[in-house]
Amino acid sequence: MSDDGAPGTANAGASGDVSVRELAELRELLFGGERRQLDELRRRLDTAELSPEELAEKLPQAIVQRTARDRQLALALAPTVETAISESVRRNPHEIATAIFPVIGPSIRKAIAETMAGLVNTINRAIEHSLSPRSIRWRVESWRTGVPFAQIVMRHALVYRVEQVFLVHAETGLLLAHVPEGSDTDADLISGMLTAIGDFVNDSFEPKQTGELRTFAAGDLTVLVEPGPQAYVAAVIRGQPPNTLPVQLQTTLETIHLQWSNPLASFNGDCGAFATTAPLLEDCIETVLSTDQAARQSGLQKFWWVVPVVLLIAAVGWWWTRSARRWNDMLARLEAEPGIAVIRSERSWGKWNVTGMRDPLAANPAAVIAAAGIDTTAVVAHWEPYVSTEPALILARARRVLAPPGGVTLSLNGDVLSATGRAPAIWIVRAEGLAPALAGVGSVDLSRVSPGLPADMETLANVVEQQHVQFAPGADRLDVPALTTVTEVAAGLARLTTAARRSRYDLALHVVGRADPSGTESENIALSRRRAVAVRDRLVALGIPTTHLVVDAAGSNDPLPADVPAEFARLNRSASFVVRAQPAARGGGTERAR
Amino acid sequence: MIQKKVCMVGVYGTGKTSLVQRFVHSLFSAKYHTTVGVKVDRKAVQVGDTPVNLLLWDVEGSTADQEIPSSYLRGAHAMFFVADGTRRETFDQLFDLREHARAAAGDVPSIVALNKADLKEQWLLTPADTSKLITDGFHVLTTSAKTGEGVEDAFRVIAMATVAPSSPTIQPPVRHGN
Repeated sequence: MSDDGAPGTANAGASGDVSVRELAELRELLFGGERRQLDELRRRLDTAELSPEELAEKLPQAIVQRTARDRQLALALAPTVETAISESVRRNPHEIATAIFPVIGPSIRKAIAETMAGLVNTINRAIEHSLSPRSIRWRVESWRTGVPFAQIVMRHALVYRVEQVFLVHAETGLLLAHVPEGSDTDADLISGMLTAIGDFVNDSFEPKQTGELRTFAAGDLTVLVEPGPQAYVAAVIRGQPPNTLPVQLQTTLETIHLQWSNPLASFNGDCGAFATTAPLLEDCIETVLSTDQAARQSGLQKFWWVVPVVLLIAAVGWWWTRSARRWNDMLARLEAEPGIAVIRSERSWGKWNVTGMRDPLAANPAAVIAAAGIDTTAVVAHWEPYVSTEPALILARARRVLAPPGGVTLSLNGDVLSATGRAPAIWIVRAEGLAPALAGVGSVDLSRVSPGLPADMETLANVVEQQHVQFAPGADRLDVPALTTVTEVAAGLARLTTAARRSRYDLALHVVGRADPSGTESENIALSRRRAVAVRDRLVALGIPTTHLVVDAAGSNDPLPADVPAEFARLNRSASFVVRAQPAARGGGTERAR
Repeated sequence: MIQKKVCMVGVYGTGKTSLVQRFVHSLFSAKYHTTVGVKVDRKAVQVGDTPVNLLLWDVEGSTADQEIPSSYLRGAHAMFFVADGTRRETFDQLFDLREHARAAAGDVPSIVALNKADLKEQWLLTPADTSKLITDGFHVLTTSAKTGEGVEDAFRVIAMATVAPSSPTIQPPVRHGN
């Protein structure tokens, strides 16, 4: 301020000093207040800066006013704030993570929920289109109860129970809270060990990362761990936990971090402050208790009667089907039986009624019914007698009326009754008279029945007929063995002639000449005739009357059968003999043929 | 209810587990040591009117080439070191162990139990050794898992230390093997 006193500097000496002092005092008296204000203003102009105190006073108001006016402040601060946050994250990520943990969880969940909703829809569609037996069963249940199919699927898939929930201090592993209270007196030890095992897994398998043990299972027990920065929640679940459970645990954990942030931060072993978290933790237990099991049981109980009724229906159906099958089987057997015709069949009051017709010669119907496995006492049958013209019955009737001897076989071809074999002449005569009178028989053919010979003649004829006179290939000359054979035949024929005369039978001996298949048939006929003639001539030479001898030339058309193929040709280069005999008393008629 | 995490640390074979077995409540079997490397037990102690539950993390004994995992020590409210009075090397290793524990859990109250006090004729530690521990900041007790001598005291002392770590009343009685 000395420069302000410039007017006084021109006067030297004591008087000058006094005047200056007085002037200064005067000036102070007159302008003191203004002068100090002037000095303050000058000082402010000189420094042109706000003190921190002033800034602290003005800053909040200034920010409010400027923010209301435009966005300049935000734009100016943005780079600084960004740098500050990134710097903070770089230096101490834990701090930021802790701060934003309650906020970031719900945001992430919301984003994930939206993504998952689309995925779940896709899965729902896939389930809806699947046609496994289980999905069909669920679909029926959905249709029966009116509950949407997707909900039915959920209900069946989610059967579980959350048994315990632990809230554990992350760093120390000390138990903060546990529900249901008193369910496990060693919950503090379990939470400690759970933390140790989490550390163990982390140290062992992810030494460089900050992963956490989230889930482990043993049998149908699952432990879900939801980690947080200061505390974690562990839930013990029996059964299959749903996907929503971790989210619920996470929400609970976030709430706890938010509302108990101070007790968590200053936790030093006193868990009294966390007793009030019990209702939150109990929500986890109450909400996820599945009621599906009980509902399904009551559904089953409601339909307990279905099983016996179904079994009863099945048994009755089986019995009914079986008896109907037996009945039809029995009717088919009766219908198939010759001489039985079923006209009407029905069931009434446990009895079977059958009405029909029966040929007296037909099988016994009761035996047929018994053979079909049906109790004959349960069948009331009424049979009218009739004459059946079925072939089996015609034959049966013919056998009964004609009583053919043992050597005769009867057969029916259309309405022609044929008989083959050998029978006494008296039977042949009787059969010729009776057979046409039988019902169903139009005519009778007895041409293949040969009248039987007296026993002595039969034996002698067999001896003659078993002889064969053999020839060399192409030859018709009798060699020495052939001559011997012809001599034996002549002797046999002489004895047969004597016996025939005694029994008054006329005899004829047919000499049948044959040739082997080589050569033409006409040559063979001629050769066979020459062979038969040679034999006949020899027999005549041996004293057999020519009138008893007939020559047949068979060629190779009617060969003798051979047991061995190699013998066939030799056997048919021969002449054989057929004895024909007929009673001398009768003219013509049946003859004996072989 | 006050709970405190106490880590029991010691060289292999110093008798930690024997101390735990006889005097605390165990739920888990000793096989956890060989599998997980730690077993959590509980010791209930009364400090004045306050019941204190000590959750004892009985960590598998360290060996020359295997260090105790830091994660097990993290957040501990106190360290319970155990040395074997008949094996001098277990005493020597206490200082390294304490450094390791301090790095993992910070500066927390700690006591040293010089175990196997019943084996008087084999005792190798001298009063000078004990003094060295005390001057180095340890609370020192002699214990015997076999006779039970000093064990309850050790747990009570460590409980008091965790509840009131700065309390000047904790001045454990030190007795020498001989």
